[in-house]
Amino acid sequence: MGVVEAAVRAKLTAAFAPEHLEVINESSNHCVPKGSETHFKVVVVSHQFAGLPPLERHRQVNAVLADELEGSAGPPVHALSIVAKTPEQWAKSNAVSPSPPCMGRTATVNR
Amino acid sequence: MLASLPRRSLPLARASLPLSRLSLAPPRPTAHPLRALCSSGTHDDFKPQVRAYAEGWEAVEAQIKRDIARDKVVLFMKGVPDRPMCGFSQTVCEVLKAEAVPFKGYNVLADPELRSGIKKFSSWPTIPQLFVNGEFVGGCDIVMEMYKSGELRALLKEAGVKE
Repeated sequence: MGVVEAAVRAKLTAAFAPEHLEVINESSNHCVPKGSETHFKVVVVSHQFAGLPPLERHRQVNAVLADELEGSAGPPVHALSIVAKTPEQWAKSNAVSPSPPCMGRTATVNR
Repeated sequence: MLASLPRRSLPLARASLPLSRLSLAPPRPTAHPLRALCSSGTHDDFKPQVRAYAEGWEAVEAQIKRDIARDKVVLFMKGVPDRPMCGFSQTVCEVLKAEAVPFKGYNVLADPELRSGIKKFSSWPTIPQLFVNGEFVGGCDIVMEMYKSGELRALLKEAGVKE
């Protein structure tokens, strides 16, 4: 596990006490050097999201990971996909959609 | 370089200046700074506008406010609606096209001040960002979630862009 992934995991655990947590490094799907920690998907299942609309849940996750997104502690996290659900919602559906394919540099060069 | 010169318009030009396709005359510069990107630099007077959405945070903020008020559905994205440059931006474009609503796309890759300014404006750290009726809706994950649940359609109907 990379340092950014470890930090993301630790911060989300501390902030949301999640019943279920996934931190997926999706960087290898993108045009970045091997071992990069630039693209993440996080799945946070927490009681703390109860009663909050999706926008507010995502804002809370973004705020907890502000240092990583701004790159104040290292190379910035460029993309963060968020699934934020309550345990009840997660019990109903635990499907997590894959992130869309990269269309960055590779796509530009190939077209 | 030379090979690219005859191209008079970028995809944004096709989206925002349909008249230019009907006329043999070169596209005329318009009031909107990003639309100046569509022209091929016809006059030196317009050059400072070509690169900048707006200069400085206050001007960027004011321009964003005007832009989200001008069109009911506005997407700040990477690339343009006809050619997104990021999978997340593409996904939101596809959702809006699936809902068959007109929308205006602004390419944050065209201007670093817009790219950082829109993040500050919305207190939202990533692109794309969707606005409906001047209100921030969310990024790709939220738009997709709302699309699947039907909430997006309801919002677009409420905004009067979809019957």
